[in-house]
Amino acid sequence: MREEQPHYWRSLEERGASPEALQAAHDELKPGTLAPADSPVTGISRRNFLGLVGATAAVAATAACDKSGKAFVVPYTKRPKEVVPGVANFYASTFPEGTRSYSVLVKTREGRPIHITGNDEHPGLKGKTSPRALADILRLYDPERLRGPKLQGHSATWADAEKVLNTAIANAKQAGKAILLLTGASTSPTRKALLAELKAALPTLEHLAWEPALGEGAQEAATAVFGTSLQLKPRLENAKVILSLGADFLNGEDPEAIAAFTSQRRPAEPVKTMNRLWVFEGPLSLTGSNADQRFPVPPSRLAALGFALAKDLGLPLPAGAQLASLPAPADIPAEAWRKLLEDLRSAGSGAVVLCGAAMPAEAHVAAHLLNTMLESKCLEVRPAEPLAGLRDLEAARKDMASGKYAAAIFWGVNPVHAFPDAEAWNAALAKVTTRVWVGLLEDESAAGCALVLPEHHWLEAWGDHEDGALLTLQQPTVGALYDTRQGEEVVLAILRGLGAAAAEDYRAYLHDRWAKDVHRGPVPFERFWQAALHDGFVKTDAKTLALPAFRGDAVKAMAEQARKTSGAFELMLRPGTQVFDGRYGNNGWLQELPDPITKATWGNPLAISVADAKFLGLQDGDRVELAVAGRQLSLPVLLQPGQAKGVLALALGYGRTVGGVAKGIGVNAFPLIDMQSPCPNLIHDVKLTKGKGRTQIPFTQNHHRMDGRDLVHSSSLVEFAKVKKKPAADLATLYPDLQFPEHKWGMVIDLSACIGCSTCVLACQSENNVTTVGPEQVAKGREMHWIRIDRYYEGSEENPRVVHQPMLCQQCDHAPCENVCPVNATNHSPDGLNQMAYNRCVGTRYCANNCPYKVRRFNFLEFTAYKTEPESLVYNPEVTVRPRGVMEKCTFCVQRIQDARIRAKAENRPVLDGDIVPACAAACPSQAIVFGDLKDPKSLVTQLSRTRRGYKVLEEVGARPAITYLADLKNPALEVGE
Amino acid sequence: MKAETSTMNAEFPDILREIPLLEGSVTSGSLDDQVLGVTDRKPPRRWFVAMAFTSTLMLLGFGFIGYTIYTGIGVWGNNSPVFWAFDIINFVFWVGIGHAGTLISAILFIFRMRWRNAIARFAEAMTIFAVMCAGIFPLIHVGRPWLAFWLFPYPNQRAVWPNFRSPLLWDVFAVSTYFAVSAMFWYLGLLPDIASMRDRTANKWRKLIYTVISLGWHGSARHWQHFEKAYLLLAGLATGLVLSVHSVVSFDFATSVVPGWHMTIFPPYFVAGAIFAGFAMVVLVLVVVRESMQLKNLITLRHLEVMNKVILGMSCLMGYSYAMEGFTAWYSQNVYLHHTFLNIIGGHYGWAGWLTISCNIFIPQLLWFKKCRTSYFWMILVAVAVTVGMWFERFVIIVISLHQDYLPSAWRLYHPTLVDFGILLGSFGLFFTLVLLFARVLPVIATSEVKGSLPGSQPRPGGEHA
Repeated sequence: MREEQPHYWRSLEERGASPEALQAAHDELKPGTLAPADSPVTGISRRNFLGLVGATAAVAATAACDKSGKAFVVPYTKRPKEVVPGVANFYASTFPEGTRSYSVLVKTREGRPIHITGNDEHPGLKGKTSPRALADILRLYDPERLRGPKLQGHSATWADAEKVLNTAIANAKQAGKAILLLTGASTSPTRKALLAELKAALPTLEHLAWEPALGEGAQEAATAVFGTSLQLKPRLENAKVILSLGADFLNGEDPEAIAAFTSQRRPAEPVKTMNRLWVFEGPLSLTGSNADQRFPVPPSRLAALGFALAKDLGLPLPAGAQLASLPAPADIPAEAWRKLLEDLRSAGSGAVVLCGAAMPAEAHVAAHLLNTMLESKCLEVRPAEPLAGLRDLEAARKDMASGKYAAAIFWGVNPVHAFPDAEAWNAALAKVTTRVWVGLLEDESAAGCALVLPEHHWLEAWGDHEDGALLTLQQPTVGALYDTRQGEEVVLAILRGLGAAAAEDYRAYLHDRWAKDVHRGPVPFERFWQAALHDGFVKTDAKTLALPAFRGDAVKAMAEQARKTSGAFELMLRPGTQVFDGRYGNNGWLQELPDPITKATWGNPLAISVADAKFLGLQDGDRVELAVAGRQLSLPVLLQPGQAKGVLALALGYGRTVGGVAKGIGVNAFPLIDMQSPCPNLIHDVKLTKGKGRTQIPFTQNHHRMDGRDLVHSSSLVEFAKVKKKPAADLATLYPDLQFPEHKWGMVIDLSACIGCSTCVLACQSENNVTTVGPEQVAKGREMHWIRIDRYYEGSEENPRVVHQPMLCQQCDHAPCENVCPVNATNHSPDGLNQMAYNRCVGTRYCANNCPYKVRRFNFLEFTAYKTEPESLVYNPEVTVRPRGVMEKCTFCVQRIQDARIRAKAENRPVLDGDIVPACAAACPSQAIVFGDLKDPKSLVTQLSRTRRGYKVLEEVGARPAITYLADLKNPALEVGE
Repeated sequence: MKAETSTMNAEFPDILREIPLLEGSVTSGSLDDQVLGVTDRKPPRRWFVAMAFTSTLMLLGFGFIGYTIYTGIGVWGNNSPVFWAFDIINFVFWVGIGHAGTLISAILFIFRMRWRNAIARFAEAMTIFAVMCAGIFPLIHVGRPWLAFWLFPYPNQRAVWPNFRSPLLWDVFAVSTYFAVSAMFWYLGLLPDIASMRDRTANKWRKLIYTVISLGWHGSARHWQHFEKAYLLLAGLATGLVLSVHSVVSFDFATSVVPGWHMTIFPPYFVAGAIFAGFAMVVLVLVVVRESMQLKNLITLRHLEVMNKVILGMSCLMGYSYAMEGFTAWYSQNVYLHHTFLNIIGGHYGWAGWLTISCNIFIPQLLWFKKCRTSYFWMILVAVAVTVGMWFERFVIIVISLHQDYLPSAWRLYHPTLVDFGILLGSFGLFFTLVLLFARVLPVIATSEVKGSLPGSQPRPGGEHA
């Protein structure tokens, strides 16, 4: 057969070759027949050699495989329809924080939450939220979170934990002994209903809802003059004149108030009106820094000042109210007093008086009195859960000590940290047989509890929250990371243990209650429920509450009380801007967020007025000894311009003793509080003596004046009306103008609207994987924030004018950083971005030296590589995590720009104005930041950048920044210098 | 003819007469014994002591460098906005020190200043060592030193080139070229001397080494002819580099937008400063060398005096530059520049500004007095002051300008760390270790050139041998 096959030749050589040659050519292709061709040198044939090389490589590769990380990787056989790799999902949920709650949108990637913004469907928030809501995503991934329940310090199962808990409670019930339930405040009606059920099943339950940092004056005053506990929410959309008596309503906690306030402060052309903010306050607050007229007044005198205003106002007092003759305060100029009265009278119902939470009850009464007299329409009345005060806590402590309670459950509170006398508390607690702690991160209070039950993070939990006329829904956006349960399920377990019919889990409970109590109208419930999950809220038929009748008889006593003032220092305790009452102490983002006024991070130095500090010979960081009625505290001071003389201010929530991040940061100010005081957050007769030594305060800004430099343009409304826009002309340059074929991204920052709340800083941090560096590195000037808020003081130290200026990469056309980089790691994109190729950066830092705005950040040390799961889960996968030795900076959120462009391309349309919103602009509650295409003449950013108020910072350097700032306008009642 | 010369000599004031190159009677043989013989003798005890000291410093410095590379430059005091500090100060300082050598050997050679012959070799060696010290800093100061080779324009598969607009890149070229040319120039000049040493030594190993590195030099007329041509050419090349390298280093600052850096006066000012610092260092080292190695007859007091005159001249130039900085700040009406200048003379680091001005301008004025120019005490005092002053001048330029530039919000003070000082001391350790090694293994004086100026070695006008 073989011979019969035709023989095809491949070449002429082959056809004419000898049979031996043909045989050899044939054999060449046969395996293992090349023995004669073995290399004379090595004795190995080429084929064998290749075989050996292959085998060696295979062995090396196998040996190099790390078996320790071996795990099963299972691909989706059926992909969940909502998870598309690389595409973000957004879920509406709600961030609860004591008496407040925020409807939010949670951005998830591949099933894990990575970024939080406000819910843009929410009619009030309009996509904005509080900085702490933004930052709290970090707690979800806190590596110190409890992984499962603990019984007597040892890991336990939930079944065991439940058994222990239920036995204890059953025994207590049988013995008729009381059970203490101490929680934080909550805005959840379903939780309230659940607790009511628990109370019904367990009549000996005593529930105290306690918010340690909020102060008690507001509640006391409301009860005194309105006969009920209520919350007055400022509605500033139409407020013409706002008077703050120590109220820091612009501190970021209330984005709705910020939006409403600033909506009246971005005057359109022709410039005519703005609202006017008068502030009387002790320490310089963020609100005070944005005031049109501000006067430093000790908080203890604010009530008297309020009553004096009421007296001089010339409007009828409410029925029954009596005011003794009160002189106008001596340190307020008569002209200012007259103008203020005039403002209030002329604004009438468009005026509103707000009083700070830490202020004494009499100041709140004065504010209520003024609002009632003015018939202010700028307040929304909301019901408020009556909260336990320190006197209630002290009573509970005594009861614990007397053995009244068989069990105590602490849910989401940390009394060992926040109760002024922790030792007494612990001693009393030891008398309680069963001590249960429910919470997220082990804290000081968990240590004294036998049963430690880990709670879900709110992003893993269900819930609902009352928010005015809305009921917001909180849904899990990620499965529980650990063996945790949400606190409500512990309550359900107790109910089951008591034999009551309880829902299987809290979701079912919530679902059922909503079906029963919330669901209205023709839409079937499941669709109603789905819509609520989608929107994050439903409208309820709760009507706007009317303010109850003012009880005039309360005024006289309060006004009497108001006249008492003390001569020594008075100390105002306020919740920490970042850590609140200490619950966020373990959050590095918040700890490193500079205080919007002091620019101090990581700690709570004692703010003291410059005059007092000079008198005592103190400088920033000098340690002092505080003494109040036998209680002592040693801490560093911070000189605060604008703070009233004789006033000290200190943030609560620091000085934690548990928590890898929180531990040892700042001092705990709670122990200074006198539990019997009617106004615990304002402490009188404080003695201050200079201590020994210094503590370096990690500031992010050390120089506070502009030194005559024209960095922040500012003017008054009246003056500005006369200003003519100077013709815009770029400085001459030898460089050719850059050409932008398609887009030229640019930004406008309205300094009139920016209040300095720093929400943008956190939003940027979350979006761009900006790392934290710790207090030592911040003190050395190595913080990494891509956007910072520069805060400058102008004028006297007693009462300076304050300006806030967000500073981020200006994406200059003629960027000085670009031409000095020797390796081309930073260069210009065709759409006008100054881009950074991290992989190419070798870290000469020349670019940062040459940046006039100093917005480039350098990884001086390795800040990121050691981060593993769960910490690394918070990273935005669209942004590179930068290693040490690399320069980084704001990119205008280039990942969002690309995302919008890709979307537009997929939809075959141009990128529209407003498609791209960088994280800072998205988070800014006052919408001071506008981003867009400067090549599009119709875009908002182009139009705003051409207004009269527009200017470029450091224009004279000639870098041609892409960010236009709009001049800061204030609306002072008095001429400057008056 | 002869009469004319003598009258001219009589008319010349003392100061214009050529410096006597040597003192006492020196012959070719005695010169060889004196200079080349050193390598055959056992080093004295004090050499070992000095060596132990400097090499300890050097190792300490390398230890700190290793620590820096392992941990990151966060172990230094650099911060935002002072992104450059000791790293670049030291770099500029050492590049500056490196200037005197090439100036003495190349420019003075071209101007036929024959008094240079006795000191040229040492000065050149110091140049090489100083540039080696300088070269360390740009390398270790980057955030990721293992990628520093990206600064070189080598062909690569990514087709990425360095940024030719960046002055740092110009630095890479300028400094590496300078180092290469200086090293070549130095080595070329060494050839005849190494050959002499090869011929003198009896030690087998030394003979082998000298044989290899003398590249077969036999001293034939042909060798000499080529040698002289090459030497002259390299001198010409090096002359340009003396001026260019520090000008380019100054571009790092002058082309930036930082107030206090962005000045057109920087290139000449930097070159003058470099010569100034370099000469001071040469004086400092030569004083030690001539004393410890018994070379007083070859490196005479007149040499030192001339060097001191150069230092004085440069000091006056520096004074002019400083005054110009102030004038520019005032005349420009630029608020930022104004602020920076006020910082130099009165800010937080004003002490550094005044230290710079005192050390570089006031103290060198002592050299107007001949007594000071010829007294060890005074000249060492001035030389040390200038070295300190010039280091601080770079501190002033870099740290003071950076710590407060445009936006007051970003201003911050700079505090160096232990590691910063460790690496600075380490660089001095490295420099003096190399100097000490050089003094033992290679001829510290260019004997071949000095021999050319010995009595009777050169034809004189009138056909007589003087």
